[in-house]
Amino acid sequence: MNFVLTSLLSAGLPALFAGVLWFLGGRFHRAHLWLSAVAVGGGMMLAYYLALGKPAFPTTDAQEWVFWYALGLIPLGWLMGIAAPYRWIAGWGLVLALPWLFVWLFVPLMRSEHWSLTVGMTWILVFGVGLAAMALGVASAEARLTGWQMAFLLALVGGVSAGMMFYGAKSSSFAQLAGALGLVVGIAVPVGWGMRSFRVGQGAVAMLVVLYGILWAIGFAYGQLQAPYLAVFALCMLAIALGARGASGWRFVVPLLLILLIGGGAVGMSYQTYMSASTGYE
Amino acid sequence: MKQSMYRALSALAMLALLGSSLPLQAQGVTYRIDPVHSTVLFRVKHMNTAFVYGRFNSFMGTIVVNERNPAQSSVVLEIDLNSVDTGNSQRDDHLRGPDFFNTRQFPKATFRSTRVRKLNDTTIEVQGNLTLRGVTKPLTLRVTFTGKGRNPRGQEIIGFETTFTLKRSEFGVNYGLNGGLSDEVRLTVSVEAIRQ
Repeated sequence: MNFVLTSLLSAGLPALFAGVLWFLGGRFHRAHLWLSAVAVGGGMMLAYYLALGKPAFPTTDAQEWVFWYALGLIPLGWLMGIAAPYRWIAGWGLVLALPWLFVWLFVPLMRSEHWSLTVGMTWILVFGVGLAAMALGVASAEARLTGWQMAFLLALVGGVSAGMMFYGAKSSSFAQLAGALGLVVGIAVPVGWGMRSFRVGQGAVAMLVVLYGILWAIGFAYGQLQAPYLAVFALCMLAIALGARGASGWRFVVPLLLILLIGGGAVGMSYQTYMSASTGYE
Repeated sequence: MKQSMYRALSALAMLALLGSSLPLQAQGVTYRIDPVHSTVLFRVKHMNTAFVYGRFNSFMGTIVVNERNPAQSSVVLEIDLNSVDTGNSQRDDHLRGPDFFNTRQFPKATFRSTRVRKLNDTTIEVQGNLTLRGVTKPLTLRVTFTGKGRNPRGQEIIGFETTFTLKRSEFGVNYGLNGGLSDEVRLTVSVEAIRQ
């Protein structure tokens, strides 16, 4: 089969799968929290399978955790959706759980002596605690935006992530995964546009932030993404979390402009660097 | 009397020397792979159209040759995957990254023989385990003995070559399998090793 066509299918099928679940979640409000968590986690798992094949368990390759984390996050995302009114439970849950995700992800780099124990532990804490704060901040902004607006902003972050994975981290497969995750949530935009009552859900939003964060972490730790570029992801998340607290007319526009400016600028810079060093390799 | 004692001591010394060399022969002779005069090449098909070749510039290993008992011979080869060289720096970076070798987690590929069998004067069958990207798979190689001699320093050298094909998907290197790059990768390993 054509290479481009198969690549498009590997991103399109997860989006289609998620689209059906977003639609059902919009229709059946009782099952919404569960369906939205499955849309994100299942969409990511499908994207991984189509891009990289079936992962091993127990994993030998740290990157395979992306698949298993997407699976494990489904019940956690659902629970977080339920616990949303009790923010301190969700908050402490994330702060305590997330560093452990990065332990599994980063320990192989300490074993291979790419990182010293101190450096590895530092990054585990930075990513774990930082991502917990971002997931909480963006999830709490969910109630202040309409369903399609939140989906649109998170899809835009997917686009930025895909660009950074490709031009910054130099990983086509992780660019594909980030792009697919963007499409998984992006497909919720027309669903939300058509259904006023549609919401992404705080649990699903937190899942998306964590999954994006894991992709950026892999791009940095295993790929060639430079550490300063990690700030781009943090700023995009901050833009959504803080922007949504502004006046109602600006809640969507401000984060949108900031993501376009910061994320788009970073992708543009990475593209320039990539192309200036181009050797004709495709 | 003095002369006969001297002869006896000389004979004892000769016997001791002979005795010490006998276990060495039984254990085999160890050779260290000389990376300067050795090559590890690979080829992969791009877009189902043409073969692209690459090589690894850094590797090390030892060969133990036991001519009396070839089954006691062994090979260990350790390849530094960061040294991949396809003549294009961007492609080499991509190969080192998460899509292919993931060298930050798995910087080396290793082959360790488990069984060596002499097929004829120039051909040896080597069974062993190849570990790549954290996955270990058994591999059987038909190795050709290419020669033996001395290098300009007077050291004894020995040469072997083998060509074999493996499926990269079996080692978890799955990126680009859907038509971009072939699953089959052919490797040619040609080594010159110096007696230790």
